[in-house]
This record gives sequence, C-alpha cells and structure tokens, in this order.
Amino acid sequence: MAMDGFDDSARERLSALADGELDPAGSTTSCAAWARDAALRADWHAWHLIGDVLRSEDLASDPRHDRDFCATLRSRLQAEPVVLAPTPALADSAPGRVDRQPRPGRWTTAGAVAAGFVLVVGTFAVLRPGEAPPDARLASADAPTSTTASPARTAPAAEATPQTVAIVADSKIIRDAQLERYLEAHKQFAGTSALGVPSAFLRSATVDSAAR
Amino acid sequence: MNAPDADAPLVERVKQGDVKAFEMLVVKYQRRIERLIGRMVRDVDLVPDIAQETFIRAYRALPQFRGDSAFYTWLYRIAVNTAKKSLMELKRDPLVTESARAGRDEDEDNPRVENEPSDAATPDAVLASKQIASAVNFAVEALSEDLRQAITLREIEGLSYEEIAELMNCPIGTVRSRIFRAREAIAARLRPLLDTREGDRW
Repeated sequence: MAMDGFDDSARERLSALADGELDPAGSTTSCAAWARDAALRADWHAWHLIGDVLRSEDLASDPRHDRDFCATLRSRLQAEPVVLAPTPALADSAPGRVDRQPRPGRWTTAGAVAAGFVLVVGTFAVLRPGEAPPDARLASADAPTSTTASPARTAPAAEATPQTVAIVADSKIIRDAQLERYLEAHKQFAGTSALGVPSAFLRSATVDSAAR
Repeated sequence: MNAPDADAPLVERVKQGDVKAFEMLVVKYQRRIERLIGRMVRDVDLVPDIAQETFIRAYRALPQFRGDSAFYTWLYRIAVNTAKKSLMELKRDPLVTESARAGRDEDEDNPRVENEPSDAATPDAVLASKQIASAVNFAVEALSEDLRQAITLREIEGLSYEEIAELMNCPIGTVRSRIFRAREAIAARLRPLLDTREGDRW
C-alpha cells in the first residue's frame, strides 16, 4: 500500500479530524492533504467503514460500490456552484480582512468591527429604540447584499434625543456601545462604499433621530 | 446536553468553499444513508440514485445548516424527505418498472426491501460484505487492550477524546494516538479485501 512520503503524524491528524478533534487550521491542512493523496482517501474510507461495521455489521459494504458511488457524486458536485457560507465568528477568519461576500450566520460585534463592517447578513434593519425587530427571513448564500438600511417601521413615538441604536441582523439584535462610538467617530465614511458596506447603513447607524 | 458534533470542523470547511471536505462527509455517511433509504424504498436499484440526490440536496442547502442539530441528524431528514419525494414521483411516472408497481399496492407505511439481485445484493457483493465484517471483528480481537478499548469507546460508545482520556486515565494525545493505531491495525487486515483492482483506487 503506497504510503510513501506520508509521515504518520499527518495521517494521525486525519484520524483526529475523523473524530472532529482537530482545530480549524489542522482541518484545513488535512482536507487539502486528503484532496491530493489517494492513499489518504483510501484510509479515510477504510476508517469509516471500520467504524460503521463496529456499530452495525449490516453496514459492511462492497468497497467497489462505495468507490463508484463517491466517484459519481464527485462529478455531480463539480457541476454545482461552490457553496460559500462561512461562519464569521470563527478564529480562522483573518482579522481586518475585508470580505465582500454576504455571510449568513451569527457574528459578534467585535468581529464585525474587525472585519470593517461587512456584516450584511440575511436581512438587517436599523431600528429606533422601542421598535420590535421585523421578521427576518434567512437569505440564501447567493442573495446579493441588499440595502434594507431604512428602519423597518416608523417609530410611533419619536424620541428627541438619539438613544442606543439597535442593529438587527438576521432577526438577532446586536447593540454595543463600542460599536456606536466607532460609528460615530467614523462618520466621514458615510457615503463611501470602499468597505463594501451600503452607505445608507452607515448614515442611519449614526442616528440623529430627529432627522428621521 | 448535546455532545459537540464531530462533523463540525468538516462542515465549516465546506462552508468556506472546500468542496472536497463535502466529499469526505459523503464517504463517511454513504453507507448509512443508503441503508436508511433502502428501508423506505422497495426497489433497491433506486437506492443509490436517491442517495446521490440526498447528498446533492444537502450540499446545496448547507448555507442554511446552522449547527442547531448535528450534521447527520440534518442529513438524515433530507434523506427521508428525498426518499418520500421519489416515492411520490414514482406514483406519477407511467414508465415505472413492474417491480416497483407491484410493490406499490402494499401499505406504503411499511415498505419492504425486495429480495431482487441488484448492485448491492449480488452474491459477490454479499460475500465481500461478510468478509469485511469478519475481518474487522477478527482484527479488533487481535488488538492490544489499550487500542481495543480506545477504538471501542470512540466508535461504539461515541465518547469524545476528553471523555476517553478521563476513563482511560491518560492524556488526550495518547487517546488520539491509540485510536489512530487501532485504525491502522484494523485497516491493515482489511487492505487485501479493499484493494480490488490495480488502479481502481480512491
């Protein structure tokens, strides 16, 4: 069996990945190795066959069938548009990198600040205090970034002084005093789209509630 | 309390655009999904097609998978829905095969897998399966106590490395190493059964 050039530590890491016990960086490396090396792919199949059989003997299969199945699926996958829907809160996103893709999934305020505000997720709206968030429907990964930056509803009782603005993304309210101060300090970016953020979003985030 | 999903790192890789990571998940779950579909669909020749369809649908729907359930739970539901959809389409299709048509008259809620020769059920395939099951059992028996316990706790009991480390009173690194070496030893015995033809590889 051709395992030439492959040290055991790389294969042991692949084994850990099979158990979900590998960090994101290691997982990335192991997946790349799997894609390059047929011997690793054979191991991956064997190990999972072993696990299946240990749990239930009727899962023992003809390996040729398994191979054919996966080869067929591989060619079908090649015809599919690549799925891209990373979870931004994970550590392996480079801090400060501006990402222009819409990103469904949870995100932290600190992460959003670090990523330069490209945080259009599903639908979002800027609400005045006291408003309830609208029903947010989850957008698909290839939905374009939409500028639903205007408030979902006009507030019935307008307040004179600007208060804490609630930013809603994907039906989760995210409010943070630090974010607001940052937005306030960077008002000069209102109107630009250099960061990939709809300019209307920046304007409405630095709320002068009387003006709205 | 839910244990962390062992598929989470791979699922995240797929979400980052790594299509190969999805193939890794397919290799992992193909047998289980085919068995599940085989319980629902009478015509075993349809099983691989429905299983293929299941994985493609799962791939397309992956942006909507949020990790609220385990990946396999979510995949399982897609498989069930895909099988049901296929059964409904069979009812409408005038070209449906005779065997499927004959089976349809029975109670749909209690489908049986018919005993027809198919890709999965030829004598050669059945023999190959039996040999593999036998080789795995034999190999596990031949393992040292530590390796056998580690792989059993992981694969049969479904414990995490941390839990196994606690049970076996050893570091997590040792757990990882023992599981790996157990897999290697068992796979070594399987190799003659798995490498069928030259060039017919993964």
